[in-house]
Amino acid sequence: MGIKTSVSLYSLQYQYLLGKMNLDEIIGFVKSIGADGIELLPDQMLHGTPTPSEETYEMWDKIIAKHKIGLACDDIFLNTNLYLNRTLTKRECVDLMKQEILMAHRLGFKAMRLVSFIPAWILAPCLETAEKYDVSMNIEIHGGLGFDCPKTEEYINEMMRLDSPYVGIVPDTSLFCRRAPKIVTEYCDTMFGLNPDLVKYVDEVFASGTDFFAISEKIGLEMDPKLKSLIKCPGDEFYARNLNGYENRPLSCMDGLEKYIKHFHFKLYRMEEDGTECAINFREVLEYLHKFGYEGYVSTEYEGNRWILPGNEIPEKEQVSAHQKHIQGIIKELEA
Amino acid sequence: MFDNNVFIEGSCKNVEENGKIIGIEMQTHITYYRGIPLSMVNYMDVEVDGKKIPREDLRIAVDEFDWFTLKEMETVTTIKWEYGTPATVRVLMDGGLTPGEHDVKLTVCTRTAYIPIPIEGVMTRKVTIH
Repeated sequence: MGIKTSVSLYSLQYQYLLGKMNLDEIIGFVKSIGADGIELLPDQMLHGTPTPSEETYEMWDKIIAKHKIGLACDDIFLNTNLYLNRTLTKRECVDLMKQEILMAHRLGFKAMRLVSFIPAWILAPCLETAEKYDVSMNIEIHGGLGFDCPKTEEYINEMMRLDSPYVGIVPDTSLFCRRAPKIVTEYCDTMFGLNPDLVKYVDEVFASGTDFFAISEKIGLEMDPKLKSLIKCPGDEFYARNLNGYENRPLSCMDGLEKYIKHFHFKLYRMEEDGTECAINFREVLEYLHKFGYEGYVSTEYEGNRWILPGNEIPEKEQVSAHQKHIQGIIKELEA
Repeated sequence: MFDNNVFIEGSCKNVEENGKIIGIEMQTHITYYRGIPLSMVNYMDVEVDGKKIPREDLRIAVDEFDWFTLKEMETVTTIKWEYGTPATVRVLMDGGLTPGEHDVKLTVCTRTAYIPIPIEGVMTRKVTIH
């Protein structure tokens, strides 16, 4: 078995949006670069979700049968703010989640990734449906929105209480940034002209083994005062506030949670020419997973698409290929 | 973040109905990475040559079939604006735009449950009306 690789189709969203590739071509591309599976955002590339038409299901079935690719994860979000004047009631949320479980089952997925802040109380009333349709519900643990955030902690506590194979987590490598993503710094510097002292301080903080989310949590303030003092323009402010999404945690933050990891998000910002990523050390993450015998998927999620300077092509296919080459090589080496 | 999704280049034109030019229309992609029901579009805004168009003069369709005002869209939970499918934004203005160049600015704003602030995308394009 071993660790399997997949690609979140989020990574190729502009190919789809701009009509350069359709779903069939995208999945064919993922298969061609040697990935074992795909992660789908149904409400991105299928119409009418969570209750698509039979024609849509038939199209999906044909594409999957054609490419014979693994179905790693179904990535869903609950539109709790569907109405302008109120939040969905608990019963409405539960009904919606059950529809998502049914759709995941019909599409052939065994695992769902629930985007951060999907409420923890939804798990218990949906568990029977998840068991019946053999689809697990797994919350994403994302940098700045994961560990130590009350809503995610609540989810983890409920997961422990239920202790079911149908409830788990999907950690995201934004938890393990060993530096602020270079592409983000370069983008903000080019667009806004960042204060060099701010950039220097950010690099020093990451090099010292911590991050700005951790500092804020520790001191109980919205922002590290020194970081705040180095903000000289709105561009600096944007850059500084955005840093909360990049954590620099030790991998040991997952100790004790191993059995709940049902899927893993391998977020990347930019693959460099030397074949490594600009902020994340994927080797250390894969070594950690290999050590405890993880046999699920690790899914490429290219998020550098948000940081391409205007007027430039977003190199989605190139970045996804380079990342898959990188992680497939490490997995091969570890499992040799 | 989603500015480049807004206002598809070359899509702005005068609209004729029953032999009369009733306004202009343009196409835009969604300012999000997923499709969402129309009720989750917070607002759209159009400026033509620096002049803001009254909100009640906008009509929006994702299928060129059912047209809604922004106020009506608040209750449209069963029709989705799919990712990758452009919506058409129509501006009712008798006679449309005169031939020549115009500056048209389109703003699209959606809301999601996990991003605390609404997601706005803005794009101004130089439009040539023939």
